[in-house]
Amino acid sequence: MAQNDPILKIKNLSVAYGQVKALTDISIEVLKGEIVVLVGANGAGKTSIMETVLGANVPVSGTIEFKGKSIGGVPVDKNVRNGMYLVPEGRGVFSSMTVMDNLLLGAHHNLKNADSKLELVFDSFPVLGNRKSQVAGTLSGGERQMLAIGRALMSSPEMILVDEPSIGLAPIIVNDIFEILVNLNKEGYSILLSEQNVYKALKIAHRGYILETGKMTKHGTADELLNDPAVREAYLGA
Amino acid sequence: MEVLIAQIFNGLSLGSIYVLLVTGFNLLLLVAMIIHFSFPVVVVFSMYVSWAVMTATGMVPLGILAGILSAIAVNVVTAPMFQHIMKKRGSVDINATMVISMGMGMIITDILSHTFNQGFPIAFPDALTGNDKGALISTRLISISRGQVLTLIIGVIFVLFLFWLLYKTRAGRAFRAIAEDPNGAKLVGIPLLKTGLQSYALTGILGGVTAVLMAVLLGSASAGLGDQLGHKVLAVSIIAGLGNLKGGLIIGLLLGVLEAVIQGYLAGSWSNAIAFIIMLIVILAKPKGVFGSSL
Amino acid sequence: MSLPLYYFLAIAAIYILMSWSIYIPYRVGQLHFMTVANMAISAYFAALMAINFSWPFWLVLIAGTLLGALIGFLVSLAIGDAPCFAVVIVGFTFIYLTKTIIENVEAFGGPLGIFSIPKVMQTSSSNRVFLLITAYALVLLTGYLIKRFDRSRLGRAASAIFIDRDLAVSFGVDVKKMGMFLQSWASAVGGMSGVLYAFIMQSISPNHFTFHIVGICMTMLFVGGYSTIWGALLAAPILWGFPLILPEVLQSWNIVIYGVLLIVVLVIKPEGIITRPMIKKLESILLRKKKLV
Repeated sequence: MAQNDPILKIKNLSVAYGQVKALTDISIEVLKGEIVVLVGANGAGKTSIMETVLGANVPVSGTIEFKGKSIGGVPVDKNVRNGMYLVPEGRGVFSSMTVMDNLLLGAHHNLKNADSKLELVFDSFPVLGNRKSQVAGTLSGGERQMLAIGRALMSSPEMILVDEPSIGLAPIIVNDIFEILVNLNKEGYSILLSEQNVYKALKIAHRGYILETGKMTKHGTADELLNDPAVREAYLGA
Repeated sequence: MEVLIAQIFNGLSLGSIYVLLVTGFNLLLLVAMIIHFSFPVVVVFSMYVSWAVMTATGMVPLGILAGILSAIAVNVVTAPMFQHIMKKRGSVDINATMVISMGMGMIITDILSHTFNQGFPIAFPDALTGNDKGALISTRLISISRGQVLTLIIGVIFVLFLFWLLYKTRAGRAFRAIAEDPNGAKLVGIPLLKTGLQSYALTGILGGVTAVLMAVLLGSASAGLGDQLGHKVLAVSIIAGLGNLKGGLIIGLLLGVLEAVIQGYLAGSWSNAIAFIIMLIVILAKPKGVFGSSL
Repeated sequence: MSLPLYYFLAIAAIYILMSWSIYIPYRVGQLHFMTVANMAISAYFAALMAINFSWPFWLVLIAGTLLGALIGFLVSLAIGDAPCFAVVIVGFTFIYLTKTIIENVEAFGGPLGIFSIPKVMQTSSSNRVFLLITAYALVLLTGYLIKRFDRSRLGRAASAIFIDRDLAVSFGVDVKKMGMFLQSWASAVGGMSGVLYAFIMQSISPNHFTFHIVGICMTMLFVGGYSTIWGALLAAPILWGFPLILPEVLQSWNIVIYGVLLIVVLVIKPEGIITRPMIKKLESILLRKKKLV
């Protein structure tokens, strides 16, 4: 079902914060229509990859291609316009602003058909429609995650970067969120997901990459990784 | 009683000036992330430019236009300097922006006290202030001038416009997002520098309009006015809680009314001093503000 | 000694002290401009005591310094750990209020100020020499104390607060006490400078103690470098001195020149011309030479 064209192609990427090396020689591909998951412990570099792809960090070396064009050093707002959007770690919605405002921020660069997009978002997430004039700070954790995803959809992205969606959420709600991601993927969105919840993430993903302290240690299809004894021992507790 | 009412009205006009200045200061603080202590000095500079054009050409509308444009120009021209400092964000750097702003204030105030009108206070023509037409309402005890009414009306309209802009427009949404979480705003694709630049332009317009209103209301200006307003604006925004727009609205109006009422009963420079003493007491008691800071 | 040279040296000492009085609380990131108000208050106190009650110089100097410390301490009870901008506005308000009060109260001489503050020594020339020696002795003393502070455990705690306040708190540094100590000390230095100033100038007026002093001292501190005491020590005489040798047309623009310098240095070299690593390097070179000898 995945087409063979890569939408995102990261090659030999290294990133440093000052003297501290955050990522070393990372190569990742996301094909069109795929869910690719980055798994690893805290501090493995998942968020760094997300932010670098997005354009918030400048790589030390390596190339990033999005839809066949190099985007190294391109600022975030250009990448957003170009069809990439982040669902940040810890939900990252603006809690003093209303649900409506948060959603419209997603459409910041493309307000023309915001109304029709809003309708779509409210169809998928009725709870957001019911609370659209409420301040985001009053929402529950799961609702905020939906809002962050809804905001991403407002930008009409081709690829959504989802950073640690399950952090701090109850297991039932995590299941809901993952189901939402699977549905979005079926609608045609490519998804780069980072997760600590390795089992659940690999269950919904097509392929996965395993990171340890800024380096890539393994990659393969989700099934391969789920059945890999080393992975099972390190991440799945079996 | 009649005097009190007149003074309260007077205070509301003055207060609306403070509100405009504080709102401009807060917007720069929230969106551009600078403490532009000398923002009121820029406004007084625009008053001087406006005055110079009015006296040179005799045309009041041209002077008004020049005043507004000069405020925008100063803000936009100095923006890259502040943005250069703010690229490395941190609490110490925000202090640096305040020091730079004070440096700007030193330069502008000194230029004003050397050049325009040989450093003497300037007086705006009656064609602008409407003082030659006499008071709008006058009874035995009180008189309310055209300038006061005009300032209050335009002040209210402009504040409403600002809040509409902040809460109902695309740019306003971006402003508020940056104000709440600059990094979060950046990650969802809001260009910080470009949006920051818009806030410099917006506060430039705001400053220019305020300059004209001050010219109408006060009828005169001196080089030291900017410093004094700078202190008041910083004090008001600290009392209201730095970056608290609605708090600034309330405290700005309160300060205007307080000053006017004191002036109604006490003459000379003491009235100003009492306003400062009251502000000082509030700041000493609550250095972090009455309504809480949004920073 | 020629009169201009005397005034240059004497006022330079005052500016060194005043710039240091801004430096001291800036060790924890606070711009405590109240020291300018302390300078005014203690200068007026000194003048009135010396004229009306014939207090001797040393008594006035000590009392004026303590007066500064006391006021600084009382205010620091409220703003010892306040954010920088609150400290700034409290300082400005004090300067403004002090000026308003001395301008409007007859006993303080009104806008004209106070004249004929007595000499400390009999002759004019011995008076000048005495005041110069005293002023620079106090510069040395204050510099020595700041140096000792900077090198102590407390100085390191202050640096920690400057760099990251929350982190410093988590290490158990008492931010409020540190702020109170530094503010009181700075106000004492401000008061001491005020007394010196009154005796050097022999006449004072409200206009001597306004915001231009804030601007000048701020320029000296930030252009010289706020991370070490050497910045203000070198910048104060140079910045105070060079407008004096400019042609008269330019001299009156000295505040504009200061403002431009301040902005340019902060934009190009935010930590100022003289920095702590620079001083460290210099010290290590000097120490090595000593060892070789």
